[in-house]
Amino acid sequence: MIPDRVAEHLQGPSFIQVATRNADLRPGHAHVVGAVVHDDRETVTFFVHETRAKRIVDDLEQNGRVALEAAQASHEAYQLKGRYVSSRPSSEEEYAVQESYKKRIVEGLMQFFPEELAKPIAGVESEYRPSIAITFRVEEVFLQTPGPGAGTKMET
Amino acid sequence: MGLLPDEIKPAMQGVIPSHVVTCSGDGIPNASVISQVYYVDGDHVALSHQFFNKTAKNVRENRYAAIWITHPETFETWDLELAYDHSETEGPIFDEMDMQIEAIASMTGMKGIFKLRAADIFKVLSVTRNAAERKSA
Repeated sequence: MIPDRVAEHLQGPSFIQVATRNADLRPGHAHVVGAVVHDDRETVTFFVHETRAKRIVDDLEQNGRVALEAAQASHEAYQLKGRYVSSRPSSEEEYAVQESYKKRIVEGLMQFFPEELAKPIAGVESEYRPSIAITFRVEEVFLQTPGPGAGTKMET
Repeated sequence: MGLLPDEIKPAMQGVIPSHVVTCSGDGIPNASVISQVYYVDGDHVALSHQFFNKTAKNVRENRYAAIWITHPETFETWDLELAYDHSETEGPIFDEMDMQIEAIASMTGMKGIFKLRAADIFKVLSVTRNAAERKSA
């Protein structure tokens, strides 16, 4: 079960990224534009721009291994690791989730940067349409905030 | 002339944090934010190895890594594929990284937490410019 704080953290404003790997153990990477923790508190759906999704989905179809990292400007960060369930094009309802995520990222960045910097940074991080919705089952959650506790496995 | 173009250097100044992904020897991927990717020469970059660091552990088991960096003025991004080469715990690269990490730690409220243990040197395998993805907010 995903801890409450981690579920809150995923709602943002967190910068989220996904890691996969291929058969040669070469890692794949993509930025994630929003994530939804489902009611079972064990599965998560996240959204990746179509241009980046092919490699990610290919890897996941092949071996299923996925890591999702979410970090905030405060340095608080968590990583969820698990196995692929499914993928499909995002729905309109999910695009609304992504738009909301993007707004929160800009607002979060504006605590540290002027608007003229925050918006383009968010544009880089949050390009989202068309996107693919990827669902995975979380098996492990790790604290990743920099410091001596980084890498600690959390109770789930 | 190496794989890294001159125009990529500002993306390695630590203004915008970078992202690194690796994979353990038994096939578990890992993602992490890093404060800076250091330009070493046209074919090599360095990543900092600090406290417990899954990235550092993974690349010693499986040398491949991928990083994503952002130019702080144009916001263009690049993907780099890397292969771990060796680690340095002294010398000019280590000293420069140590000094820059101290500066970043001071600016971000992480003084005493960010601490360089080693400079991990990687060979650049490929560089991809992601201009097609860039779009203003």
